[in-house]
Amino acid sequence: MDLKPDFNRFLAAVRHQETDRVPLGEILIDYSIQGKFLGRPVAVDDLAAQVEFWSRAGYDFIPITVSMMSPGKVTEESKITRVLKEMVLREKPGTTDPKAWNLEMTSFIHERPDLDKFPWEAAADIDFSKLHAVKDLLPEGMKVIAISGKIFTLTWMLMGFNNFALKLVLDESFVAEVFERVATIQFKALETIFGMDHVAGVWVVDDIAFGTGPMISPAALKKHVFSWYQKVGDRCHENNRIFLMHSDGDLSVLMDDLIAMGLDVIQPIDPSCMDMAKVKKQWGDRICLIGNVSNELLRSASPSQIEARVKELLRDAAPGGGFALGSGNSVPNWAKYENYLAMREACLKHGSYPIAIK
Amino acid sequence: MVDHLNTIRDAVIGGKHAEIKGLVQQALDLGLDPGTIINDALIAAMDVVGKDFGSGKIFVPEMLVAAMTMKTGLEVVKPRLAGGENRSRGTVIMATVKGDLHDIGKNLVSMMLEGAGFQVIDLGVDLSADKLVDQVRALKPDILGLSALLTTTMPEMQKVIGELKAQGLRDRIKVLVGGAPVDQVFAAKIGADGYGANAAEAVELARRFAGANASKES
Repeated sequence: MDLKPDFNRFLAAVRHQETDRVPLGEILIDYSIQGKFLGRPVAVDDLAAQVEFWSRAGYDFIPITVSMMSPGKVTEESKITRVLKEMVLREKPGTTDPKAWNLEMTSFIHERPDLDKFPWEAAADIDFSKLHAVKDLLPEGMKVIAISGKIFTLTWMLMGFNNFALKLVLDESFVAEVFERVATIQFKALETIFGMDHVAGVWVVDDIAFGTGPMISPAALKKHVFSWYQKVGDRCHENNRIFLMHSDGDLSVLMDDLIAMGLDVIQPIDPSCMDMAKVKKQWGDRICLIGNVSNELLRSASPSQIEARVKELLRDAAPGGGFALGSGNSVPNWAKYENYLAMREACLKHGSYPIAIK
Repeated sequence: MVDHLNTIRDAVIGGKHAEIKGLVQQALDLGLDPGTIINDALIAAMDVVGKDFGSGKIFVPEMLVAAMTMKTGLEVVKPRLAGGENRSRGTVIMATVKGDLHDIGKNLVSMMLEGAGFQVIDLGVDLSADKLVDQVRALKPDILGLSALLTTTMPEMQKVIGELKAQGLRDRIKVLVGGAPVDQVFAAKIGADGYGANAAEAVELARRFAGANASKES
C-alpha cells in the first residue's frame, strides 16, 4: 500500500470518486498518539514531527488550527485565553484563579455594555505563524486544512450557555450582534488563509447539536449561524477550497440545510446517535462523510472489534467515494494506541477500491 | 377561573416572561387559590414544555425561557401559600462528577426540576465522590443527580454509588444519572436507579421517585 500523501485522493473522495483507496481523515490526533507512532515524543510546537506523523500514517492533509479558539478544550495557550486573562487582570488586578479567564468556566458578554468592554481587537489578532511555517515542511502531495471559522460555539461560550439561550429568545438582536462580531473576526482570518496556496480547505469545528438533536431550533440556526456558514462556503468555493464541518450530535434534521449552504464534507457522523449506513443512504450522494468509528470503541474495544467495525463502515459508506475513515470525534489521549493503529491499518488493508467487503 | 389558569399556563409555555408577574398577581387578586395556580397552571405548563422538548417541538432556549417564566410566576405565588402548601416535591442534589467541567446538561435538568416543583441544590462541576457523599449526608436529599459528558469521567458515577454504599447511605437516596456518553445499560451496570436521556426524562424519573417516596411515607 502506497502511503505517500496525495491530496488529490482526498479531493476525489470529496467529489464522490473512487481512487486507489479510501482516505483517512481526522480533525485532531493527540500528540501522545502521534509520539507513539513515530517512536519519539511529539511536542505542541514540533511542527516537523507533526507533519511527519500525518504523512507517514497515511493522511493526505494535516489539520492546523487558526482561529480565536482551538477545538475542544480551551487551554492556557489558547489565544482567546491569553486575551481574556489580560482583560480580567486589567479589571480585577491580583486575580489568580485561572477559571476567571477560562471560557469553559466563565463567560464575559452578559449584557449589551459588555459588548464594548470585550477586547475584540486583541481577539482578532490571530496567530498564523504555524500555518506559514508548515509550508516548507510539507512533503509532495500533502496539503493543509485550516481549522477555522468557529462561530456558534464561540458566541455561546462568550455569553455563557444559559444566558445565550435566554437572550436568543428575549433579546435576539443582541445575540445577533455577538454572532456578527465573532463572525467578522473569523472571516478576516479566512481571507489571510486563502492567500496560502498550501491550504486546501477550511474546516469549521463547531458543535451545533446534542445527541438528541440541535442545540437551538433549526430556524434559529439557519438565521444566525448557517447564514454565516453559507458565506464561508461561498468564499471557500470562490477561492477553489473545500468547506468542511465538524459537529457532534444528531444532525439529521439539519442535514438538508447543511448541504444547501454549500458544505462539502461533514464529520464525524456522531456514532452515539447517527447511523452511518442510513446517513450514507439518505445524504451520501450530496455530501462527503468522514468518521464514525466510535471513540468508546477506541477506548474499550479490542483491535479485532475495531477492524470489524471499520469493515462495516467501508462496506456501507465507501463505495462510490464520498467517504473518508476516521474516529467518531477525534483521537484523544485516552484512546488505546493499539486501537488507533487497528483503525488505521484496517482502512489501509480493506479500503482499496473497488471495495470487496460483503 | 379556568380561563385565568389557562392564560397563565399558556404564558409559561410561550415564555412570556414579561407578562407572567401581572397575570399571576391578577389571578391572586381575583381570589384564585395559590396552590391551584401552582399545580394547575405553572407546573401543568412545565409538563407540556417537558413533553414538547422531549418530542423536539421546542429546543433548549425556549425551554429555559419557559422555566424562567415559571419560576418568576412561582415567586409571586409563594408568599401567599399557607405553610403546609409550600412543600416541594422533594430535594435533589445535582452535580457533574469529578474531572468533568461540563454543565449545560446538568443546568438544564436543574431548571426543569425546579419547574416541576423540586428543590434543587446544584453543587456545580468537578465533584469528587467524597465531597458528594459528605453533601448527601449533610443535606439529606431525596435524589442525587449525576452528570458526565466524558467517557473518561463516567466511571466516577460508579465510585459515587460505591461510596454511598460504603457509608450506609445508598438505601436512603435515589441516584439518577445522565450525560452524552451515559445510557440505560451503563446506568444499570453501575447500580443507578435511573437514567434520563434528556431533561424531560430526568424530570419524569424524579417524579416517579418522589411518588414512590410519598407512598412509602403514607
